[in-house]
Amino acid sequence: MDIVEIKNLTFKYPQQEVQNFNNFNLKIKKGEWLAIIGHNGSGKSTLVRLIDGLLAPESGEITVSGIKLTPESVWDVRSKIGMVFQNPDNQFVGANVEDDVAFGLENAAIPRKEMLIRVRQALERVKMWEFADHEPVRLSGGQKQRVALAGIIALKPEIIILDEATSMLDPEGRQAVLEIIRELNQVEHLTVISITHDIDEASNAQRVVVLDDGKIVQDDIPAKIFSHGASLVKIGLEPPFSEKLKEELVKQGIEVPDEYLTKEGMVDWLWQLFSKQ
Amino acid sequence: MAMAIIFKAVNYMYQPNTPFEQQALENISVEIPTGSYTALIGHTGSGKSTFLQHLNGLLRPTSGVIQVGKQAITPETKNKQLGELRKHVGIVFQFPEAQLFEETVIKDIAFAPKNFGKSEEEAETIARRMAQQVGLDDELLSKSPFELSGGQMRRVAIAGILAMEPEILVLDEPTAGLDPQGRLEMMEMFKRLKEEQNLTVVLVTHQMDDVAKYADNVIVLEKGKLIASGTPSEIFAQPNWLVEHHLALPKAGEFALEFEKKTGYKFSTLPLTEVSLAQQIASLLHGGGVHHG
Repeated sequence: MDIVEIKNLTFKYPQQEVQNFNNFNLKIKKGEWLAIIGHNGSGKSTLVRLIDGLLAPESGEITVSGIKLTPESVWDVRSKIGMVFQNPDNQFVGANVEDDVAFGLENAAIPRKEMLIRVRQALERVKMWEFADHEPVRLSGGQKQRVALAGIIALKPEIIILDEATSMLDPEGRQAVLEIIRELNQVEHLTVISITHDIDEASNAQRVVVLDDGKIVQDDIPAKIFSHGASLVKIGLEPPFSEKLKEELVKQGIEVPDEYLTKEGMVDWLWQLFSKQ
Repeated sequence: MAMAIIFKAVNYMYQPNTPFEQQALENISVEIPTGSYTALIGHTGSGKSTFLQHLNGLLRPTSGVIQVGKQAITPETKNKQLGELRKHVGIVFQFPEAQLFEETVIKDIAFAPKNFGKSEEEAETIARRMAQQVGLDDELLSKSPFELSGGQMRRVAIAGILAMEPEILVLDEPTAGLDPQGRLEMMEMFKRLKEEQNLTVVLVTHQMDDVAKYADNVIVLEKGKLIASGTPSEIFAQPNWLVEHHLALPKAGEFALEFEKKTGYKFSTLPLTEVSLAQQIASLLHGGGVHHG
């Protein structure tokens, strides 16, 4: 079943002359983890804002979880979607962590008794319950993004959209956030749409869509996309380490395999190469 | 002018003598050599931004001295004594594009030199040169900075700092939020600027690959304390120490360790970039290494 269906979408920003999207089509399956990549300005963020009804298309049709997106249905659609943005500092409204998670539930008029339960469950889920009474400013970037995720989990959405949500985090913070997303995707079958330049994040996806100039230029499994090596940087993805190493090995006169290798695969391949010596 | 930066027993306390007192820097003594490319690393709350703000006296130490070239910054130093120093130390804070405000790109870049006493004409000449240095096309100069893309806006902000013609350029996560192509271009730009203008660069970053690729000196802070300083190869030489302090190895170093574990081969020194990793693999393949397997 498709949880998001975009048909013949046309959109441009008011101040611009060229179309950002022209007759654009995309289907996203329920429970899928889709990574959207592309260089800055390729239309990634515009696309997810259209799906969330933050921007309105000129023409075309967007359906989310069976609801056709219209000015009347936009709030129903948004209740299905949770969005995490790039900068963890721009997403706080509460004076402490617990209040912050409760904010969305209060807005959704959830009764207080249930609210308290949901806030606690959500914070436990992201391993931040022990910080419930902390001020957001005292948290690290990764902890802030986990609190932002808790705010979303508490609202029980069907789709989580990550708009470069891990790009400002240190490696530990990034891993902690991705771990939670993996659980939500695998255990609770939430649909994940992640906009990213990060290879580790994209490699979690089942499917990668490459956008350029508002068009889908590739739509494939991660391993196929990653095998493009150094040219990935042109489509907005940091090339995987194994591909960068391959290029340097070629410069050293060493013959390398064409297909994409993970880090482990690359070590195995080198081991075999050395064994043949 | 030689502009080494020397921290001597520097302490910094936020809100001293109040219940909210918090020690942000603790007894820091360290030198940033003239002409070095120094990476400053550490987690959130390690004191990196407090450290940065001492480099041009935005913050003064609670005790201790920071010597920048001839200027000493002590708890008693007054703001008006620091005007000269601030011309020499350009700090690019995170998301500097948020600080653009002029009507046109050229005016924005020319703001600092004008502010530091250059004539309108001189300031504009400097601004044109700096715009070129950071790779902004001439046609963009008369546009409003707010019409530009994020990456271009950041270049305008950086050109504005360079227009002060500083000798020390301080960069606080300058590539955050840029796409990989933009990141690479910007890091290569800093490298070129450093070489062409003989700058001392201080870079705050989480990207260990950038530390290995660009820096020749590393300072590691943890909870306000200096826990290590040295060359990248010294800092990354002890994987266990890194794990203890929740710091990552550059990807090439990580790969090299896994390779050693699996194959029993041993690298003479741990490679930290893909270039040196590939070179060492090639030399091992051609019989240059020691086989422990």
